[in-house]
Amino acid sequence: MLKMNNIKKVFRTDLVETHALRDFSLQVEEKEFVAVTGPSGSGKTTFLNITGMLETFDGGVYELDNEDVSKLNDKQRSRLRNEKIGFIFQSFNLIPDLNLFDNVDVPLRYRGFNAKERKQRIENALERVGLSARLKHLPSQLSGGQQQRVAIARALAGDPRFLLADEPTGNLDSLMARQVMQLLEEINQQGTTIIMVTHDSELARRAHRNIHIVDGQVSDYQDLQPVLDVAEA
Amino acid sequence: MFQYYLKLSWLSIKRTPMLSALMVIAIGLGISVSITVLTVDYLMSKDPLPGKSHKLFHVQLDTYNKGNTDSAPGGLPYQLTYQDLMNLSRSEIPSKQSRSLRSGFSVIPEKVGLTPFSRSARVIDNDFFEMFKVPFLFGSPWEDEVNNKAKKVVVIAKRLNDKLFDGENSVGKTINLDKQLFTIVGVIDTWEPTPRFYDVNNGAFSDTEQLFIPFSLIPVLELPSWGSNNAWKSEVFESYEDKLRSETMWLQYWVQLDTKAKQEEYREFLAGYVEQQRPLGRFEKEDAKTDIKDVVQWMENNRVVSDDNSVLVGLSFMFLAVCMLNTIALLLAKYLKRAPEVGVRRALGASKLEIFTQHIVDVGLIGLAGGALGLLLGQLGLLGVKSLYANYERLVNMDLTLIATAIGLAIGASIIAGLYPAWLICRTNPSIYLKTQ
Ligand SMILES: Nc1ncnc2c1ncn2[C@@H]1O[C@H](COP(=O)(O)OP(=O)(O)OP(=O)(O)O)[C@@H](O)[C@H]1O
Ligand SMILES: [Mg+2]
Repeated sequence: MLKMNNIKKVFRTDLVETHALRDFSLQVEEKEFVAVTGPSGSGKTTFLNITGMLETFDGGVYELDNEDVSKLNDKQRSRLRNEKIGFIFQSFNLIPDLNLFDNVDVPLRYRGFNAKERKQRIENALERVGLSARLKHLPSQLSGGQQQRVAIARALAGDPRFLLADEPTGNLDSLMARQVMQLLEEINQQGTTIIMVTHDSELARRAHRNIHIVDGQVSDYQDLQPVLDVAEA
Repeated sequence: MFQYYLKLSWLSIKRTPMLSALMVIAIGLGISVSITVLTVDYLMSKDPLPGKSHKLFHVQLDTYNKGNTDSAPGGLPYQLTYQDLMNLSRSEIPSKQSRSLRSGFSVIPEKVGLTPFSRSARVIDNDFFEMFKVPFLFGSPWEDEVNNKAKKVVVIAKRLNDKLFDGENSVGKTINLDKQLFTIVGVIDTWEPTPRFYDVNNGAFSDTEQLFIPFSLIPVLELPSWGSNNAWKSEVFESYEDKLRSETMWLQYWVQLDTKAKQEEYREFLAGYVEQQRPLGRFEKEDAKTDIKDVVQWMENNRVVSDDNSVLVGLSFMFLAVCMLNTIALLLAKYLKRAPEVGVRRALGASKLEIFTQHIVDVGLIGLAGGALGLLLGQLGLLGVKSLYANYERLVNMDLTLIATAIGLAIGASIIAGLYPAWLICRTNPSIYLKTQ
């Protein structure tokens, strides 16, 4: 479970102060699929980065599984991120000199799994996204859609509870975008909580819940509906 | 994790071959200069007789008259007079002792096809060989009685034995030195102590002598000195006898004193000797000093390692620092290029410390390559030293300690150079690099 209360984030550059998030409050329950929409520059990526503890914040309280994140040091935050959170980006962000196997291996290395377990998990994750035949390929040898699937496999390999996706279909054509969306839905059904930023209102509608961010705040915050209700409806 | 970091480092070297090569070259150049200078410095100052050097002492007496002081460091003359040497050598305190002179002969070979040539000779007592651990190939030193009763015997060096007798056991054969026949009693194996500590003031880095003959032959053969003679008194020598009775300092004296107590006893003995000589009109100075210095102190006292060399060591380290500054710049360029990847790794759960360590391992590997290159270039540097200074020839070989030093220095310096770039890269905000490109 993820809970944010009155989170503030201010970017200061030379003379300009940007209030990227102001009094931002949100609660995401276990196994939810939340779509985040909003105009460009409204603070969606900032929200996601704070959620993934890649970015610090200037005020408010953020609890991940009842743990106050601001009280953790870098090592503890990294550990938490490694175990509980998977990231997917618009530009895939695969490491270009590593083949698919080694790309998916990255989070598992920091997790400290032994070689056998890593291999098992890598093969499973790549199989889950339908790319198990291409372990030795480099990212540049794949299409955009395939690359994003590798990125998803990488995010999933460590069995995270949360998947944070920042416009995962933004660089893909509509066919590929639908495939990736389908994959995310499957993953969600298998129990992973997903928070996905998107500009595509059609895709957003497929999520359990939509959150609209305007000017650093949740614009029409509806009281939480239990996930299962949404799923059953 | 270390292996993983090595693998990543190897990949990144493959991705940035030019930058990596430039770094290896920069480090290699810095290391090669440092290690060349360090090699010379290290071999010049290393203990030539480990375990024994602190038991062997060189004896010094201040025989100067009032108002005259030797220009040697410490004000005590390097060498002794013949009369003092003869008197001191009667003491029973040292467990071993050797009087010593550098002289020389022309060697007149019997072998056909060889023309006479001159060779320097070390004129000593038989303890010399054991005191300085001189290895014998054939035969042995002459017997004790020869130390007092002159006999024309000689120990020759392997090189001379090779030349005159084709390397065969020549013990018992004779050799013609200045038209006198000497019987060979021993042949020593290659023995080139570096520095030549037993007579540093007559060329600390020149070759050892190839002829060793008994000190007792000096008055008999009226041997000339091939080393330095120091005199403060103007004396006219009408005969060789006059020189032996004079105040001319031209001989060296080594004693072995095994314990602290013996060393103390010997110091007192020297002080007593001065007092005993005063009634004869010698040792005019009220505070005429005496001293014994062990091998290491003796080399230090004689500045075997010149101050120039320390300056060179300092300069070479400055050059290394300049090379490392360049390496820092190259590392910054390389690591900033890699920042997006670091952003991804952070997002996937790498801590700052893990990113930092990864980059330190990376510079360590580059440092290792730089060290290897430095050693290669250093060998060339040493060849240069060899060709510049003929008498440094024996100084210019690296042993394991030096190789380890070079590699350690390279890795250490690289890691120091890598601290700032690695710190910079590990603390950059990962989110910046994860934005849409
Ligand atoms: N590192 C930064 N330094 C300064 N300002 C920043 C930084 N990152 C974001 N901002 C500012 O914060 C605000 C929110 O940015 P954010 O990236 O969260 O927007 P977004 O909703 O993700 O936009 P988009 O839909 O275009 O991706 C913007 O005004 C942006 O200019
Ligand atoms: Mg964004």
